[in-house]
Amino acid sequence: MKLADVVHHDHMLIPVINRFGIHLGFGDKTIEAVCKEKQVNIGFFITIINAFHDSQYFPKQHLQSFPASMLVDYLLKTHQYYIEDKIPEIEGLIRKMTVNAKSNEASYLLAQNFFTEYKNELTAHVEREEKRVYPYAITLEEAIKTGLVSDALLQQMNAYSITEYEAEHENVEEKLFDLKNIIIKYLPAPSNDQLSFHILDELFMFEKDLNEHARIENMILIPKVEAMEFELKNRGQ
Amino acid sequence: MIAHLTVVLVESTYLMRAGIEKLLSELPGLVLREVFDGTEKNLSGKIKEIKPDLVIVNCQIDQQIQMSLVNSLNAEHGIVQIGLTNETTPLNISSRFSHILNSNEGKFELLEALRKIIGKRGIKNEAEKDQQNLTARELTILKKVALGLTNQQIADELFLSIHTVMTHRKNITKKLGIKTVSGLIVYALMNKLVEMGEIERSKK
Repeated sequence: MKLADVVHHDHMLIPVINRFGIHLGFGDKTIEAVCKEKQVNIGFFITIINAFHDSQYFPKQHLQSFPASMLVDYLLKTHQYYIEDKIPEIEGLIRKMTVNAKSNEASYLLAQNFFTEYKNELTAHVEREEKRVYPYAITLEEAIKTGLVSDALLQQMNAYSITEYEAEHENVEEKLFDLKNIIIKYLPAPSNDQLSFHILDELFMFEKDLNEHARIENMILIPKVEAMEFELKNRGQ
Repeated sequence: MIAHLTVVLVESTYLMRAGIEKLLSELPGLVLREVFDGTEKNLSGKIKEIKPDLVIVNCQIDQQIQMSLVNSLNAEHGIVQIGLTNETTPLNISSRFSHILNSNEGKFELLEALRKIIGKRGIKNEAEKDQQNLTARELTILKKVALGLTNQQIADELFLSIHTVMTHRKNITKKLGIKTVSGLIVYALMNKLVEMGEIERSKK
């Protein structure tokens, strides 16, 4: 299948495709040819875009069979997209909405501050994942490959529980949910309907992307880490 | 945000499952909890454990399994059983169910039939209740939440149990569609339930 046909079928996949280092302008090349050129694992690529396209399609075991380093690499790219592209873009739109608000400025400022708070929380969450969770997953995988389990890793395995950070996802999701309702229901009527629509459109898409991201972390990466922990602990005995 | 009705489906083919799932997703408030293919051991026990509001059973599953399932669920109160039929389903089988969905019908007719069945379970009233305004008590509690009081502090000030405060908070969230404390603060400020100055002062 041609990659261009994939985009025709579901153009919302463009940011996902970008995360693999593949950018528009691929002409009439097939998925296979583009993946080969960019040194992307084609099985992983196809599974990820299918899962993103169709929420019913989520082959858990198949996804868990890919190495943790590959999953982490994808998740890191996703973070980068959120922090460097999406969040600043939405922030800019919300600022614009506040500037347009005139007499209702106070209410719009409240919404804008709420978004800033959300942004800070999301950024902190992303940083924690990148500093703790992802490197930990990769260290475990290397230990399994090489058979070398350092004392430091053993200590980390006992001290740190991978499950604890799942609760954080929830709070980040709830804030986004609130923001949508504030814009839909509680802000005074906007002076620019099109801008409000644009912001909501972005928020709904962002939410979908975040959910997909959390699904891969919670249902693929974390179970995988837990299985690796289990294997290493058993080996140690 | 609406009170949910839990649905369990007994259906062995993927295509029918997918179709039913799609159909149910069109109606707000219906949640498909579990799908069985009919060959599970102790099927009725498993279904009873879920305590569903609706059970949809394909009339084509094994007759003996179906009989024992229907009889055992009949003994449970509050479980509505729906038989999934087609033109070949004999009357003596379809008549076992209090409600029927005819799989040969079009989407509009199927949705109407489902709405009628759900209507009897009173889900509409629940949905309407959600849209009522906040009560005086809920407004008082919302203000205190916005001022940064904990559930325990609110309970102490209003001489309520913490459990009651939590119930009020759940209802506030349900009615407003706002889940986080900072979201509630934004709502309270926008609607002038509290002043910025009050919040600043209460922080000190």
